[in-house]
Amino acid sequence: MIRKILLPTVAVISCVSLLSSCGDSETQEKNTIDEEVFDPNSSLNTIFDGKIFSIPSPVQTAYLIKSLDVGFDATLLNDNSNVGDYITEYQQALNLGIYGTDLGYSALYEEKNISMKYLNSVEKLTAELGLDAAFDTSFLKRFEENSGDSDSMILLMSDAFKKSDNFLKHANRKSTSALILAGGWIESVYFACELNAKKQSPDIERRIAEQKQSLNSIIDILTEYNKGGSNDTLIADLSDLRLSFDKIIMNYEYAAPETDEEKNKTTFHHTLALDFDQEILNEIKTKLSSIRSNITKA
Amino acid sequence: MKLIISLLLSIFALSNVNAQDCERIVASCEALLQEDGGSFISDGQVYTAFLDREKAEFKTTFYGGTTYRIAASAGDKENYVIFTIKDPKGNILFSNKNYKNAPYWDFKVIETLPVTVETELDLDLKVTGCAVMLIGFEK
Repeated sequence: MIRKILLPTVAVISCVSLLSSCGDSETQEKNTIDEEVFDPNSSLNTIFDGKIFSIPSPVQTAYLIKSLDVGFDATLLNDNSNVGDYITEYQQALNLGIYGTDLGYSALYEEKNISMKYLNSVEKLTAELGLDAAFDTSFLKRFEENSGDSDSMILLMSDAFKKSDNFLKHANRKSTSALILAGGWIESVYFACELNAKKQSPDIERRIAEQKQSLNSIIDILTEYNKGGSNDTLIADLSDLRLSFDKIIMNYEYAAPETDEEKNKTTFHHTLALDFDQEILNEIKTKLSSIRSNITKA
Repeated sequence: MKLIISLLLSIFALSNVNAQDCERIVASCEALLQEDGGSFISDGQVYTAFLDREKAEFKTTFYGGTTYRIAASAGDKENYVIFTIKDPKGNILFSNKNYKNAPYWDFKVIETLPVTVETELDLDLKVTGCAVMLIGFEK
């Protein structure tokens, strides 16, 4: 009986494998795979994400901070001497996200010596996490060579994090990828909150309020890839933070976008009004600072 | 027993082929972020989905004062992927379906906007396979 079921299955799968591995012709790309093999519940279909999550790059908030002529503040960074104290994969991944944002922030301000120190911390954690392929010697060399050029450093760093993300997803280490993204997001919003407390800026306040959707995505991704319940505490803390973000009222008004077909470009003309006050921002700042402190303490 | 091992090996081989196929697509998608003189910085994530007549969707935020590029690929031909951007009310803001399934498109965002991005294969061209999407931003 088993033989009767297995023989045709092996034959079908072997044929599909053979077909898939024979070059790149258009005919082949159009091939469909047997419905039975592509049962949506089969393990074959779970090779890649069933769900997709997106977190905006933390570097974007650093760009905003710099554009507002807010000076560089080294006291915001996570002390790079802590790096050796992060022992578990959980600590290493979260703090890689944090150090990555610190690196981006210091690179943007062309703080060469500080950037190199944080590059070193990033390098140590990526080695511990087995991400050497993305942060290899070629990357390090290029980063050092471009250490006076903030745009090149940001580009190189973003590419290296993209390679890591791709590697982790394909290696079925999505929980690690999720933690790196969460760490990066927490650090960038922490910067925004702390800098705004020092010198109030309507642009930074708005950017903080705009994080509502991203926080939801962070909680979703940590919940989806919660390996052995290791993210439980962080999820609970972020869910508490969400209660504060939920007090922010967003009023969106649709307006027709405008498309320039020749330039492959569409301009969005909507409006998004955000209603919040200082009390909400203070609440967010306090909660976020506590979450970040729990992550960075050794 | 031999049959079971063969079955497992075949499944592994297929998984491996799909992964390699996806890797190749990631590389071609990366090139799209720089096409036509674009200097877009990746958001650091690779959005990958193995699609079989279904849609993959995700939510993200486009920040005001930024131009974004979305690039999508699912193989050697550039027009296999349809992507659609919806606003918080579900209005369709853009679909490359209206522009010959263009493999990349730029979005000038004046005010911040939470969006939903839907991705699917153009079933007239390809029914199943790996779809890759990248998001880049220009400061």
